[in-house]
Amino acid sequence: MKTIYNILIISSLLTLMAGCRKDWLERTPQTIILEEQVWNDPKMILGLLANYYDRLPTDMGVDGNWRNMADYDDAMWSGYTGEDGRNNIISYAYSRWFFWDYGLIRDINLALESIDKYSTKLTDVQKKQFAAELRFVRANVYFELVKRMGGVPLITKQLIYDFSGDPTPLQFPRAKEAEVYDFIASEMDAIKEDLQNIANGTPSNTRANKYTALALKSRAMLYAGSIAKYNNLMASPITLPGGEVGIPAEKANEYFTKALEASKEIITSGAFALYKVNTGNLGENFYEAVVKKIGNKEAIFVRDFLSAKNKRHGFSYDNIPLGIREDNLSSSCITPSLNLVESYEYLDGSNGALKTRLPDNSDFIYYDNLQDIFANKDARLYGTVIYPGSTFKGLPVQIQAGVMKWNGAAYQTIEGSQLGAIYGGTAYPDGDGKLLVGSSGPHRSIQEVTNSGFYMRKFLDAGAGTSTRGILSDIWWVRFRLAEIYLNAAEAAFELNQKADAATWISALRERAGFGANSVTDATLTMDRIRNERRVELAFEDHRVWDLKRWRIADQVWNGQTGNPDNVVYALYPYRIIRPGDAARDGKYVFVKMVAPRFKAPRFFQMGNYYSAIDQGVLNNNPKLVRNPFH
Amino acid sequence: MKIKAFFYITSAAIIMLTACKKDNYAPPSSLLTGKVVYQGQPVGVRSNGVQLELWQRGYQLFTKIPVYIDQDGSFSASLFDGKYKLVRLKGNGPWADNTDSIDVTVSGNTVIDVPVDPYFIIKNEAFQKNGSNIDATFTVQAVNTSKSLEAVRLYLGLTTITDQSNNAANASKAAAAIDITQPVTLSAAIPAAATTKGYVFVRLGVKTAGVQELYYTAPQKVSLK
Repeated sequence: MKTIYNILIISSLLTLMAGCRKDWLERTPQTIILEEQVWNDPKMILGLLANYYDRLPTDMGVDGNWRNMADYDDAMWSGYTGEDGRNNIISYAYSRWFFWDYGLIRDINLALESIDKYSTKLTDVQKKQFAAELRFVRANVYFELVKRMGGVPLITKQLIYDFSGDPTPLQFPRAKEAEVYDFIASEMDAIKEDLQNIANGTPSNTRANKYTALALKSRAMLYAGSIAKYNNLMASPITLPGGEVGIPAEKANEYFTKALEASKEIITSGAFALYKVNTGNLGENFYEAVVKKIGNKEAIFVRDFLSAKNKRHGFSYDNIPLGIREDNLSSSCITPSLNLVESYEYLDGSNGALKTRLPDNSDFIYYDNLQDIFANKDARLYGTVIYPGSTFKGLPVQIQAGVMKWNGAAYQTIEGSQLGAIYGGTAYPDGDGKLLVGSSGPHRSIQEVTNSGFYMRKFLDAGAGTSTRGILSDIWWVRFRLAEIYLNAAEAAFELNQKADAATWISALRERAGFGANSVTDATLTMDRIRNERRVELAFEDHRVWDLKRWRIADQVWNGQTGNPDNVVYALYPYRIIRPGDAARDGKYVFVKMVAPRFKAPRFFQMGNYYSAIDQGVLNNNPKLVRNPFH
Repeated sequence: MKIKAFFYITSAAIIMLTACKKDNYAPPSSLLTGKVVYQGQPVGVRSNGVQLELWQRGYQLFTKIPVYIDQDGSFSASLFDGKYKLVRLKGNGPWADNTDSIDVTVSGNTVIDVPVDPYFIIKNEAFQKNGSNIDATFTVQAVNTSKSLEAVRLYLGLTTITDQSNNAANASKAAAAIDITQPVTLSAAIPAAATTKGYVFVRLGVKTAGVQELYYTAPQKVSLK
């Protein structure tokens, strides 16, 4: 009897419950977002897009892989000694620049197809806009692929496995290198008018718009043109029989023309302008041109960071000069080289080599102040590098390696074992009680203090507390800025023998750095000068290694030979002179150039580095891929 | 109870120990050694710079085995017995490309010579200490004339591993200053570190235009005493 009651009660309850909700089994889930919801909500699509923009690779940046800045000839590693391998790269690994992010390409292809399939509530303009942005990101990924790997499979649709046991329909061979560049150009032409993101005439610099597309085209076409030209000028050009690497020489002019046209369109649009706000201090002005976020019309496309949204990075924490650091650990990791400092010319146009000794080499040159040796230099030096005698955040950065004491016949060099030490006290009883070693070094062996005599300024945050781990920095990473477009235009024009135009653009950049008007003319403009302008203007902005690669001179500049000054990192050590009774010299400063003490192996770029080795796992999965030369 | 536990632990240990052995391959036991030669003479290269590659067909994944050539031209690889193809990697060494593979049957320890066709070689080298310099005299001989000479270089090192990327001092003479029919002389200053040691290793290299690696002579020890 009891059992029957129970059954009755339970079954009536069940009936009631089931009756309450008619579509019990057909409710919308509360924890899963459906395709239809995503692709009909502009905010959610934007969220996805932000993720894709963020995944665009760089060889160096302010976040994550900034350490690579120490691996070339512009800087060295002065931080934690456990990473001294960066100063001792015997040769660059063939797989160093390997990149094969077809996951991101698949995500983009899937997004493009889903917008077509599901987006019913979006307007046509919105749909076009999102599709164009996705295609921009995809072309950008292909550009990163082609400049590292050469021709890669061009996949523009989702590849779906049919579970037949046969994967061959998913295996695509590598496209020709030229085809990938052509793909980038045609994509940019196709989408540039669909890209909006321009509010009141001001283009967004974090989302793609017409000018971002043109900027990518400008850079990609310049790379393609120079590979077409310079690869075939090599004693033995790097090619593969199927054209997977190497571009025919006759295509060079076509690519240079496209690069020039795209660059010109950006320059003449008037949407951007070189940053010239701080006209009183041209060095600060150049620093601000790269890092300043407000009122900066020079930045075309950036990867932004924002403290308010907790998207921050530790670049300032890791690279602030030791003497002015705010946290108790880390600092001074990347320190620029003397090589870079000397590539900044003097304002009269003369060679930038620093003058440390008299022309007949009989004696030092004595400077009253540490910064005097850098007088009349290209203002971009100040904006890029913190050198002895300069300031950051309004604080002097004390850089002095030691003292030189005259003993009647020669100088005795004294360097302390501690930073900020005084030449005097019990350690140096006959000292003069003044400074021995600067609080920011340089020092030959202590870690986390400059070993080269210089510090980074570019990308360092001047805000209070930004070099502490609690606050961190939100300086943005510039992917494209107008100055590069000027340089692209100038180089393309020069290659097309339009030297007068090229000189105008180069002069404009030099004028901002303190040179007189028209400091370069079509008579004085050379390819070497353009190359040097790129080095000094775009230092640490992820250009140097790619530039040397596309000009096919990386194997000569970094030839691994000891004694070749180009592939060794040099340092500049300032000393205070103690020579009582000689008023012309006592208390003055002298400078000594040397190979940076912690730098061991010369840079060695081998022929096999021009194209990165394709990972064995990738080759195993797809037998249609061919290896790159020399691997 | 104690006996039971002991039994379980022992049997588990036995299973684990035997499992280690059963599922693992024996390491390759045969050694393939040889030299890269021109006319029977070993060809000197940069240590750890130039490689040959070995391929073996018949397995699902077709992966090369890189074989680095020592600076005296010798190489060695531990392999399983079987048939391999040995390939001279294109554009890699200081010799003309020859993509014909060499069939190698490895059975026990095997020795082979790999003939190459260098662009330039150096002959009759002689070194002499001359004051604070080392003087070298030698002749350059063109073997494969498809590429032109770029430079000859003299390297001074503190160890026998002396080459382009590992030396204490070097000197170079460009092709324009060289008459290939005449003996060439080169001179480099002895570094201070070698003077205190009392000896220096010297090596000559010849650079072909468009080829990255140099042909080197065997390093020689020159006494400074």
